[in-house]
Amino acid sequence: MIKYFFVLICLVLAQLIEQNDLFDTPKNWPAPFYDFEKNKLTKEKILLGRVLFYDPILSKDSTISCNSCHSPFSAFTHVDHALSHGIHDSVGTRNSPALMNLAWQKNFMWDGAINNLDMQSLAPISHPAEMGSSMNDVVIKLNRNKIYKKLFHNAFKDSIATGEHTLKAIAQFMLTLVSSNSKYDKVMSNKAEFTVQEQNGYQIFKDNCAACHTEPLFTNGEFANNGIDTILNDIGRLKVTQKKEDAYKFKVPTLRNIEFSYPYMHDGRFKKLNEVLNHYANGIKKSETLDAKLQNGIVLNSNQKVDLIAFLLTLSDKEFLFDKKFSYPMEEIKTLTLSH
Amino acid sequence: MYYALFKYICFTNLIKIIMSKSISFYKFNITSKAYILCCFLLILVNQVFAQDNCQRVPLAISYNFKPLLLNDTAYAYKVKHKIKFEVFKFYISKITLIKSNQVVWQEDNSFHLIDIEENDSSALCLEIPEDTEFDAIQFNLGIDSLTNVSGALGGDLDPTKGMYWTWQNGYVNFKLQGTSDLCNNPKNEFEYHLGGYLKPFNNLQHIKLMVSNSNKFSISFNMEQFVNGLDLENINHIMSPSAIATELAQSAAKCFSIK
Repeated sequence: MIKYFFVLICLVLAQLIEQNDLFDTPKNWPAPFYDFEKNKLTKEKILLGRVLFYDPILSKDSTISCNSCHSPFSAFTHVDHALSHGIHDSVGTRNSPALMNLAWQKNFMWDGAINNLDMQSLAPISHPAEMGSSMNDVVIKLNRNKIYKKLFHNAFKDSIATGEHTLKAIAQFMLTLVSSNSKYDKVMSNKAEFTVQEQNGYQIFKDNCAACHTEPLFTNGEFANNGIDTILNDIGRLKVTQKKEDAYKFKVPTLRNIEFSYPYMHDGRFKKLNEVLNHYANGIKKSETLDAKLQNGIVLNSNQKVDLIAFLLTLSDKEFLFDKKFSYPMEEIKTLTLSH
Repeated sequence: MYYALFKYICFTNLIKIIMSKSISFYKFNITSKAYILCCFLLILVNQVFAQDNCQRVPLAISYNFKPLLLNDTAYAYKVKHKIKFEVFKFYISKITLIKSNQVVWQEDNSFHLIDIEENDSSALCLEIPEDTEFDAIQFNLGIDSLTNVSGALGGDLDPTKGMYWTWQNGYVNFKLQGTSDLCNNPKNEFEYHLGGYLKPFNNLQHIKLMVSNSNKFSISFNMEQFVNGLDLENINHIMSPSAIATELAQSAAKCFSIK
């Protein structure tokens, strides 16, 4: 009897260790918002999600994958594209967001239209200007594919793909995209030091930017009108909440990996960080919902701007950008194909 | 009831045997092997029978006192006009039975997608314990707010069912699509996707209906009553939560009755 009990304890411990191995909350970070209890991470599910993330099978004509607009080397956004193009080169209205630290995010999209990471991938899959497909079509295509049968079986003990399992697997892969190894992080844990310029920049950042781009995630997760006009007649959060006070509000994006996630703003109008700082200095357009903290803009002299940018570059996390466990799972797919 | 007891006995015996012997099956002697196989077999039989262990409550969707048909059937509408239906789906959830204002039974995991095109939508299969007495049935038209924020779910709530909004939050509680010459748009179409779980447009409707004969009753939905209350000419596309969507959901809730 004791023997069985011992085995049981070992199994439980092994499970716990594996869970920690797959997802770790970095030191001094808040607890993640995502409910891992409802979608427990496993290696097999993450792998399935990773294969799906890189597979154009999700789009109507099998030309566009998640990775088309969310490439790892650009912090999972669409490098150099203000607006991303989907199937048949159709263009949407918003800049594709960088994907990282999603477990700490309460809602998704620039206007927060999606309430749960699981459901996020439904939007691009179904949007006519993105993947133009439907969850039903995706599941039918997945069920015709022998490799997916195996992947689904390994992950969910059920070789039949369902909408629930497909979405949960993609969510699991996205949850693993944690960026917490930038120079900034190393400085915070006393493993590196800022240069004088970076240190000045950090102070300027704390005085002027941190109210919205709060550490350590570099966003407060709120929605704000930062005084951008509306070239594409985009009313922002108002569309979701239907409240007047939410007009022209968009999600405060994280500043992590900002060096690589250009262009900036919800419609990708600024290519350079300098342009962003110039906007906050003298480009803000007043309107009823303009954020209170931006009423007088953020006026910095040119030295301060240079210092601030030097600090922002310390938020780049090259380990994250070039992490092999986030790249196309070529080896894993090869093994699966051969063993078939 | 008996099946549950039976299953319990089989299962506990099985565990006892496995615990008393070694884990590996081949070490058992022939009698215990046979016993174990018997237990498995009985559990299997029980599972097969368990599926029928429910009370079928027919769900009738009618137009002009006849079962509603989709697609080619054109119905007379508001004297001079015609109406055709192409899609009709809705969610019934949280089914509860009431006796003298007390809850006597509540269905577990109670989510039913009713789709007029699916045969198994013609009745609800409710596992009501045999001797339950009740005088009313209560259910929701739509999906509650907690479920709406719970991420990807399976079964009738699977997003492949086409009842989850893709560009915004939440489930569509009630979906009706069709055509009518009254609709003032190029294809004479109407589309009502009613849903929303956030205030002020929480679309969920609570319905309570009195049941006089608890052994035999059916739930019916009067489509004629619902469409007669519509302004097809001016309001024929509702695709997001709004005050009008909530109003229509309220009017849909009134079209249910017990027969």
